[in-house]
Amino acid sequence: MTTLVPVTYKGGVYRHDEIMDLIDDLGGYVVQKHVMAQDVVLQSFVPRDDLEMIRRIAKPLAGEVIEAPLVGTEIAVVSPSLEIHHLPHISCDVAEYLRRSGAKTNMVGLARGFGKRIANLNDEERDVINEHDLAVYVLGNFEECIRQKFPAIRREIRVPIVVTGAPDRETLMRAIDPPVEGYVGGIGRIMHRFKRPEELAKLDELVDEVSRVLDARRDALAKDPLSVFPPRLMAIIEEQIHEVTMLTHPTPVTAQMEGLRVKLPYDSYADDVRSLPVTEGVTVGDIADVTPSRMRNYILIRIKPFSETRILV
Amino acid sequence: MPPLNYFVVESPDEVGRDAYERVAGDVLQDLDLIKVIDRLHIYVDPKVPIFIAAGLLRHMPREIRVADFANVNRGEKEIVLDIGDETYLAPLLQKLWVIYGKENVDQPDRFTVVLPAGVAGEEDLDRLVVADPSETLYKDVIYALQYIAPEGFKVRRQYIRDGKFYYVASEDTLPPDIVETAVVPLFEKMGVTL
Repeated sequence: MTTLVPVTYKGGVYRHDEIMDLIDDLGGYVVQKHVMAQDVVLQSFVPRDDLEMIRRIAKPLAGEVIEAPLVGTEIAVVSPSLEIHHLPHISCDVAEYLRRSGAKTNMVGLARGFGKRIANLNDEERDVINEHDLAVYVLGNFEECIRQKFPAIRREIRVPIVVTGAPDRETLMRAIDPPVEGYVGGIGRIMHRFKRPEELAKLDELVDEVSRVLDARRDALAKDPLSVFPPRLMAIIEEQIHEVTMLTHPTPVTAQMEGLRVKLPYDSYADDVRSLPVTEGVTVGDIADVTPSRMRNYILIRIKPFSETRILV
Repeated sequence: MPPLNYFVVESPDEVGRDAYERVAGDVLQDLDLIKVIDRLHIYVDPKVPIFIAAGLLRHMPREIRVADFANVNRGEKEIVLDIGDETYLAPLLQKLWVIYGKENVDQPDRFTVVLPAGVAGEEDLDRLVVADPSETLYKDVIYALQYIAPEGFKVRRQYIRDGKFYYVASEDTLPPDIVETAVVPLFEKMGVTL
């Protein structure tokens, strides 16, 4: 079996469809396509052996292929508050930077996340965060506050968590109990955009930490693989349910590590999705749970592992 | 660092202290208050929890009068105001409408206002107060401190008078004697009595 690696292709609009066809022909998947004026960014999975070939073909088109560890993941950037008079908020820079490494990020500003004594998390926020592959908690400047409030705002969060805050990494590790999956110190409340080299280095550190945590999750998944690779299911849905192509969302179908978010109304489309054939004799309903998402009225698809379905598409 | 004459941030948490020094510097720079604030002392302790900022203003900008931005040319039948700077034109028109009536205030172009002569009190037209920047300055200073304070500190007490200001905020109810016990000592450190 060929291994697919996550990469970002950056190039011009001119003849970019050839690259998309090439990725498709090689058995890869494009999970996200951004067209910004004359530039195109494709977040995609391509076979490792064919990377060089894609690079060669992209060269005359002035396209570059970069390894992007976070392609195909959806990450929640959680901030205790997104109050207007505390902008510019570092969550914006954090979310943007993760996006550049290929992740689909959603900002979650908690309704009552501020304060160390009064901070809390409501059920909607909890469920929305739990729909992601990973949550990055962007916390503030004081160790004492992080120590006191963090248990309240992580309650019943089951996805891996990476915490950032102004205290250094060791202090964060000491302050947080039970431990979370990742820590990045030195990013507190900053009232300007990240621009200095040392600040940008912190963002790189964050991307490394997030990819490390997600790699650990990928390794665990490899032991009991999913019944179908999410980008593959994504391609099938995009091909079969033509309404998806009419959605104006930047990512009408969002790929996650273990599922998909389809931005169609659950009530009208859930049955269509469930009965969609993946391959001969296997429907989406056989290999995945199709559930309503807490995010608007979207559909959330959770792909079941092989051990449960005994099907590997 | 902003060029204040005195700028101190105090906190038992060393990392938080550095962070707040940067936050305060950024905010004052963004809101263009560095020239206005002379001294500033911030004390923040998340354990209490309390945030106190106390300081002095450099000088209060004076009131803006008509003569500051317009020439008053008196004729026999009419007075012509020749506007030099449009910044305060809108509040000026508001005042003139009240005095002369809207139909009597004529504005043939952006920089000219024509008024009828012979209305009582027109000798003082040059001295008419159009705007008081210190009013908004008070708001700006308090807004900046609100900006700097930690997000969860919603209970607050603020004061600004005679060039002195303080801002106390906490997550919990503030004790009634907080000014005497916590704010006055900060002013003393700056060599001022509140």
